Amino acid sequence: MQDIYRQIFKDPRFHELQRKRSRLSWTLAAIVIANAAWYVLATAFYPEAAFARFWGQPISEGTATTWGIIIGLAQTVLFILLVLYYIHRANGEFEVLKEAVVADALRVAGKQS
Amino acid sequence: MMRDAMLKPLVPALLLLAPTAVSAAESVNSGGIAITFFIVFVAATLAITWWAARRTHTTHDFYAAGGNISGLQNGLAIAGDFMSAASFLGVSGLIFGFGFDGLIYAVGGLAGWPLVLFLLSERLKNLGKYTFADAVTLRLAATPIRCLAASGSLVAVVLYLIGQMVGAGKLIEVLFGLNYSVAVGCVGTLMIVYVCFGGMLATTWVQIIKAVLLLGGASLVTVLVLAQFNFSLNQLLMAALKQHARGVAVLAPGGLVHDPVSVVSLGTALVFGTAGLPHILMRFFTVPNAREARRSVFFATAFIGYFYMLTFVIGFGAMALVLGNPQFADATGRLLGGDNMAAIHLAHAAGGPLLLGFMSAVCFATILAVVSGLTLSGASAISHDLYASVFRPNASEQEVVRVSRYATIVLGVVAVLLALLFESQNVAYLVLMAFTVGASVNFPLLFLALFWRNLTTSGALTGGVMGLVTAVGCIVLGPTVWVEVLGNAEPIVPYKYPALFAMCASFSGSIVVSLLDRSARATRERAGFNAQYIRSQTGLGAEGTPA
Repeated sequence: MQDIYRQIFKDPRFHELQRKRSRLSWTLAAIVIANAAWYVLATAFYPEAAFARFWGQPISEGTATTWGIIIGLAQTVLFILLVLYYIHRANGEFEVLKEAVVADALRVAGKQS
Repeated sequence: MMRDAMLKPLVPALLLLAPTAVSAAESVNSGGIAITFFIVFVAATLAITWWAARRTHTTHDFYAAGGNISGLQNGLAIAGDFMSAASFLGVSGLIFGFGFDGLIYAVGGLAGWPLVLFLLSERLKNLGKYTFADAVTLRLAATPIRCLAASGSLVAVVLYLIGQMVGAGKLIEVLFGLNYSVAVGCVGTLMIVYVCFGGMLATTWVQIIKAVLLLGGASLVTVLVLAQFNFSLNQLLMAALKQHARGVAVLAPGGLVHDPVSVVSLGTALVFGTAGLPHILMRFFTVPNAREARRSVFFATAFIGYFYMLTFVIGFGAMALVLGNPQFADATGRLLGGDNMAAIHLAHAAGGPLLLGFMSAVCFATILAVVSGLTLSGASAISHDLYASVFRPNASEQEVVRVSRYATIVLGVVAVLLALLFESQNVAYLVLMAFTVGASVNFPLLFLALFWRNLTTSGALTGGVMGLVTAVGCIVLGPTVWVEVLGNAEPIVPYKYPALFAMCASFSGSIVVSLLDRSARATRERAGFNAQYIRSQTGLGAEGTPA
């Protein structure tokens, strides 16, 4: 097993895979954490802070619905879409790349033994 | 006892936040309907348990349902684990009582899921076998780290279990007219039967059925409520704020928690707690590969997001239709059974006694399914992490399964006893404390082990113990336990939600001690990172794949 791991570690495609996956994971995670933080901090600092003040405003004259409610619901939808996008990349592109790296490493290791 | 039962309302009073006395019997026939639905549910789940028991022989069957659960099934089961009665009744009750701020539980709770997917789920599946401790101990020393992981898991599981059991006891007490201790005993017995005989397979299917029932029931209530407002959310909100004493302000932040430190700490527990709950992490081992592990998080996130949208409509719907309706208020004008009953009263208002009975039964099924999942993960911490990996590494498969069953029985009995002891406790708070322990012990350990090369056993151990001690210490010395339970005048720790401090303590302890660690073992552990990393990315060498 260690041989195969060494083989994989030498493969530039493995580093490409892990770079792409990390970049995607961390970008999406940052978006989620930023959104959750915005929400939590807006709740904590309403109505003093500027980033929170408009949360209590109705979206238009004569409606009850406030921006805060719209943002909360939009975030819910956003989280689901981000998850969908990640699955699309990870179960498609990344999985293909991973299969190729693993298959090559197994072949090389098989030849050596 | 009969007279007692007659004095209780037949509407299930799941007193999640503020147990209050409730007045006379509401409607006998909805109680009958609830009991009928409930008996059908129990019969169906026992049949499944019987079926599952015939397929549960090895540890792999018992802990991971043979690894044969599909992404959709697992997604539903995860959603089922997460949509506890505390979320449904508690969050809709908070929205009912406080308006906008109740949503923080929904947004915070949901935000944990994408993070689990992006950072943990597939890596966990590639590295572990039955519990998250498997993944962490690939390069760290098995004995101390497993003890730490098992402690974190057991504390979280027991806190969560007490919360759910107390809620279940209150509910069954009013449904069947049984007294509280008999009710809690019944829940304990059913849960032990599911887990002991059917293992993960039965637990998963109980969870799936319950998730479908809960989503279906909540959808029905939502549609019926929206129909009364011409399917306009704006009209619903207009009607809601007319009823609430705070008027327009209920649609703006600021009603629930005032002090910023508490809000941020609460948010931390909600967002990161999910990633540290052992019964949820365990679910990633029931699917065959990383691809299905990812798909299961997608389904789980979609179902949970949808569920919270329903909860949002139900909370404000209850504000519009239940608040100010004398039918649902006691003599002092408070809601019968407390704010947690808002969703149940709304089911009555929107769909009559039939829907009321159905939703009561669904809430009870929810609790039963959640406690089963919790007990199974607690049993796996005892039998797999402690017994089979630390005390008896040479134990046979049969022996480990037998120990798991004993552990299930012991946990069930302990949960019943603790539920009797903590009868009057604030249930939502207990559940939140389970999230706090998850966020401050299990999550930092797992996260650092997966992503940080320099983490060593000594560092992980120090950080984990610091996180656990801070979390438990702040809970005991904080306003809820120190003042309200123990009756002292002033809390030693002024903050109600310790997650922020405990998580910081855990991370900083782990990082500082790991960096100072110059031992030979630490060098070996750092050197092991590459192999672990490659396996976590490729799944090569993972359980269930040919090596």
